[in-house]
Amino acid sequence: MTNKYFFILLILFFNQVLPQNTEFGEVSLNELEEESYLNDKDANAAILYKKIDTYLISSGGNSRLVTYIQERIKIYNNDGFDSATKEVYLFKNRTSAEKVQKLKAFTFNLVNGEIEKTELEKDQIFETESSYYYNKLSFTMPNVKEGSVIELKYEVSSPFIWSIDSFVFQYDIPVKKLDAEIRNPKGFNFKKTPKGNIFVFPKTFSKRDNRIGMDVVVTKYALNNVPALKEESFVDNIDNYRSGVMFELMSIDIPGLSKSYAKSWKDVAKTIGSSSDYKNELDKTRLFTDNVESLISGMNSDEERMKVIFKHVKENFKWNGVDGKYFLNGFKKTLKEKSGNAADINLLLVAMLRNAGLDANPVLISTKENTIPFFPTVDRLNYVIGYVKANEKSYYLDATNKFSDLNLLPLKDYNWRGILINNPDKVWALVDLNTPKTGTKRFFIESQLKVDGSLEGKLSSRFSNHFAMTFREFIEEVDKENYVSELETKLSDIEISNHEVKNIDELSGPVSESFEFYQDAAAEDLGGKLYLKPMLFLAMDENPFKSETRDYPIDFGFPFKNDFVFKIKLPEGYKVESLPKSIMMKIPNNLGMFKYNTNSLDGIVDVTVSYSINKARVSTEDYLFLKQFYNQMISKESEPLVLSKI
Amino acid sequence: MRLIYLILFLTSFFTYSQHSLDYSFNRINRELLTNSDAVVRFDKLEIEISTIDKMVFRGHQVITILNEKGNSHARMILGYDNEKKIRSLNATIYDRNGKKIKDVKKKEFKDYSATDGFSLYTDNRVLAFTYLPIEYPYTIDFKYEAQTSDTGAIPSWYFTSDYNISVEKSEYTIQYAVPDLKPVIIESNLGDIDFQKSVLDDIIVYKAQNIHAINQEILSPSFQNIVPKLLVRLPKFNYKGVKGRINSWEDAGIWMGKLLKGQDKLPANTINTINHLVGDVKDDLEKAKIVHQYVQDNTRYISVQVGIGGLKPISAIEVDEVKYGDCKGLSNYTIALLKAVGVEAFYTVVEAGSNKVDFLDDFADLAQGNHVIVAIPYNDKYYWIDCTSQVHPFGFIGDFTDDRKALVVKPNGGELVKTQAYLDSVNFQLTTSKLKINSEGSVIADVQIKTKGIQYDYHFNLEDKNDDDVKEYYKDYWDNIGNLKINNYQFVNDKKNVIFTEEVKITASKYATFVQDKIIFEPNLFNNHSYIPKRYRNRKLPFKIQRGYLDEDEFKISVPSNYEFESIPEAFEIDNKFGFYKIRLEKQNEDLVLKRKVFIKSGLYPNTEYESYRNFMRTISKRDRLKIVLNKSIKHNRNDE
Repeated sequence: MTNKYFFILLILFFNQVLPQNTEFGEVSLNELEEESYLNDKDANAAILYKKIDTYLISSGGNSRLVTYIQERIKIYNNDGFDSATKEVYLFKNRTSAEKVQKLKAFTFNLVNGEIEKTELEKDQIFETESSYYYNKLSFTMPNVKEGSVIELKYEVSSPFIWSIDSFVFQYDIPVKKLDAEIRNPKGFNFKKTPKGNIFVFPKTFSKRDNRIGMDVVVTKYALNNVPALKEESFVDNIDNYRSGVMFELMSIDIPGLSKSYAKSWKDVAKTIGSSSDYKNELDKTRLFTDNVESLISGMNSDEERMKVIFKHVKENFKWNGVDGKYFLNGFKKTLKEKSGNAADINLLLVAMLRNAGLDANPVLISTKENTIPFFPTVDRLNYVIGYVKANEKSYYLDATNKFSDLNLLPLKDYNWRGILINNPDKVWALVDLNTPKTGTKRFFIESQLKVDGSLEGKLSSRFSNHFAMTFREFIEEVDKENYVSELETKLSDIEISNHEVKNIDELSGPVSESFEFYQDAAAEDLGGKLYLKPMLFLAMDENPFKSETRDYPIDFGFPFKNDFVFKIKLPEGYKVESLPKSIMMKIPNNLGMFKYNTNSLDGIVDVTVSYSINKARVSTEDYLFLKQFYNQMISKESEPLVLSKI
Repeated sequence: MRLIYLILFLTSFFTYSQHSLDYSFNRINRELLTNSDAVVRFDKLEIEISTIDKMVFRGHQVITILNEKGNSHARMILGYDNEKKIRSLNATIYDRNGKKIKDVKKKEFKDYSATDGFSLYTDNRVLAFTYLPIEYPYTIDFKYEAQTSDTGAIPSWYFTSDYNISVEKSEYTIQYAVPDLKPVIIESNLGDIDFQKSVLDDIIVYKAQNIHAINQEILSPSFQNIVPKLLVRLPKFNYKGVKGRINSWEDAGIWMGKLLKGQDKLPANTINTINHLVGDVKDDLEKAKIVHQYVQDNTRYISVQVGIGGLKPISAIEVDEVKYGDCKGLSNYTIALLKAVGVEAFYTVVEAGSNKVDFLDDFADLAQGNHVIVAIPYNDKYYWIDCTSQVHPFGFIGDFTDDRKALVVKPNGGELVKTQAYLDSVNFQLTTSKLKINSEGSVIADVQIKTKGIQYDYHFNLEDKNDDDVKEYYKDYWDNIGNLKINNYQFVNDKKNVIFTEEVKITASKYATFVQDKIIFEPNLFNNHSYIPKRYRNRKLPFKIQRGYLDEDEFKISVPSNYEFESIPEAFEIDNKFGFYKIRLEKQNEDLVLKRKVFIKSGLYPNTEYESYRNFMRTISKRDRLKIVLNKSIKHNRNDE
């Protein structure tokens, strides 16, 4: 299934009045005088022009990938000053590193009608090792004022000629004009995958590149008036919507060599499946055979064996937080240090499961923090999980998180789909990893209202699936006493006693929480009548969706359902004067529903409420439905129950 | 406004010794496990000062991490710079039984830039190793030796380094070759701990044991102010190649003055420009305002920290050329410009942050302070400006550097002066509104908010927000109003008098609730106090209200003509040591007027008062949410027909 909202085309119109001189150094008076950005008055700065050129050079048998960057930025006001500071991250490994060369940068100001130019000096440029994998070059432009235009150019020279950085067309500030070009030697076929909501048709042609003595394929992108990327809450990963192009070597097709890497998902499976990590290592068993044997001894079914091995890996190996589809440590070191990246842990899981006689295979995915892999790709897959087929049933497993369960993966794993690589049977398959199971929360609240408006009672709740998983993750990290205090504050300042959580150490299945409570002013006495919100401190009072419009889909993470049962015993001498009406409403397209039922009998008011959102992801077109749904729900939940004296 | 220069390492350092320890978890005294995420088994720092420019640290720390939260204390990290060199460092990790899991050799430590989060560049670096625990508890034994020529910045010794950490043994030793190198030590908050000290001719030793863990509690004074610690300084020292002698704040000012010397030269054309701008203005304060405006218009804040640059500002000429600088550079530049127009102003070092931290009266050193501002003397009073802000009004420093003792560097020496305070009722907010509730329960309102003092500081940046963010802000600010729509807004920033005015027009559909023929709503729409500090079953630490405030509100509410008031909450007043709260609703002709006043005093209170403060907050919150009931009036209905 493809999600249609990823392919909304945004048509861009030309509305430039004057042609712009984009030559480096040719900043015009107009640009310096410009006071705000035409299409976005709120912009603090804008990229007036940006050029990106990526090509290969070769000298003395040594090839390097060069990316030329030229940029002209207008600073409209002092909140745009951040755009005058640049940080360039340069990838490195043990032996080679990317470097910046031919950096030139100027600030242009208008002083008494004259253009004044200030150059960035060498001693204002800093290079530092930022992390194990990156160096960082940073500088800020001199003499920047409101109204300044800065212009800079540099080249990044990279020894990593097969990994081409994505072209980014959309930034946190708007772009007036952008040209980007990539030249690939003919026969080295790079897939160019567009992303984001702005669609751009590239121009492609071939020509002779004398610098490398080869024919090259030139692909050119030209964009005008690209809006700034807006931040919103409940977004899976904003970079999915950031306009740009990703590059990946798809195949090589030159005389004497023809090879596919990522032309189709089948190539992808083949490329990864034939790497040594997947081909040979998964069936190496001597490192842990004894261990597996002792674990599964006495286990009769495949499911039992699977569960015990999964539990063993979860409990004994710690994920170091690093993604990866290939080993960082390898099995030997992982077993010794008891930690590793995603591949170390989940491939070890697969290997152990195989060793125990199960039909287990790896599934490669791109996690949510990465981007969505719409098209066949090797490079964009950043993670691997395990898959088991037992008694005709499918199980997905991710042992990097100790609270994950069979078919209950960390949320970041649910990012459209994955690719199953079954080397033993020489098959591969695309598998759906779109929607997690529905998470449920159930609350049961029994309470007694007093004449003075105070309320006493007991709450018990039960969370399942991802609600249980996040609850376990959360409770592990907080101080219990502190947690209860915060819960008291969050739930309208109730007082909690005998707080208990159950099933927390089980690592799977539902969790329950229960406590007794006292609320000092639950009901309000207005003119001799008591007014009480039937949902008490569990009523929702703030709509999470406040904005009038929405740019990106809403990501809830998983579909969910909340059920509530309230039993409220009325104080002596009071009767129900009015009860909120029972209602039920649905969001169009079966997105969700809200059911609210009230009933009163023998001095007890029963309220049952249920609300659900049936999709993990809601499209922008349905945003207003969703906002409205929450508004109405909140409005209903605020209706009081009115009690009067008998 | 942004932070500044760090450079001087204030973190506690750990040290070396031949001690042999049983690392097993079982040996830990049960009492030390209460409230603990980690237990420091042994923490020792030996400092050896052999000459004015040679100091050796030997650190040894053994810490048992009890749970995941304790991991942040498992820091195997050591900073270094051009003066400070690491001679050795290594660590060993043990499991709960004290059995060795892993040795970590120096080459396994990774080298990082010690980014401070705000500098474009700093030349400080760290060696660090991160261990990924498989199970808890586990123990880390970390040792190092380092040597530095900077004797001007001796780290303070914290007997315990954070909340939720307990300590079995802590030792601090400082040795000096000659009496001239004897350090001055100030003991702070040692009252409650069990410690011994010995002072000999060439060595000072402190030993402490069995320090219990404390929980962090909201509103508590900053950890720095309650932690048992030693402040250490050498009266005669070397810092980044500059020698000095400091025995008083006067001396510290003289030493700083030397660093500033000659940094205030300006190019002739800039001197002309600024004099031209000042023109005929004679009054020094008025001149200062013009210079301040010039600095705000022409420079921006960028932090670059290299070598002595941690303490010494880049020259005014350089700032003039690139038009940016850090707090030191911008302050020095401003002072130079002021000098060019004949106004005297002083470079002032301060500890910035919304927590107020004073420079210590009787302990002058270079390690205090993390920010620089400018003090302008005028009519026996100081006016303060923070040159890192391009938006704050002249003379207004907000909650970043207010009300604290700072070092003012004057030509003939330093002096501690308290900066401008914004204490209680000067932090004023007035909210007025005319609002209408219609028969659908919707609200239409014009609201005006005026803020002064620290409350101005919290509001005036609205002016620079874009439309979406302003609307978002109000939706959060009035999160008690559902379906809120911001139709229009306007701001007036009176920088001269430091008053910010917001005029907002809103609507909120279905604000009121209907029950039968009644309309129910909360009349306090625009200043609804919902904050209640959380309950502690057993509050241990005192609490502090850093800044008080005074809020006044007046809302005029008109209701549909075919409704009449069924019930109006009674007036209410409460007055206590924390301040007062008054709310009154009265009918004026057909309308209802809500008048409300809240005053909160700043102050430091003992733990035993916490519950009554909390009750005060609860009372306010409860009274702010009281409702009004309107009844459909029969008389009007008839008229309608």
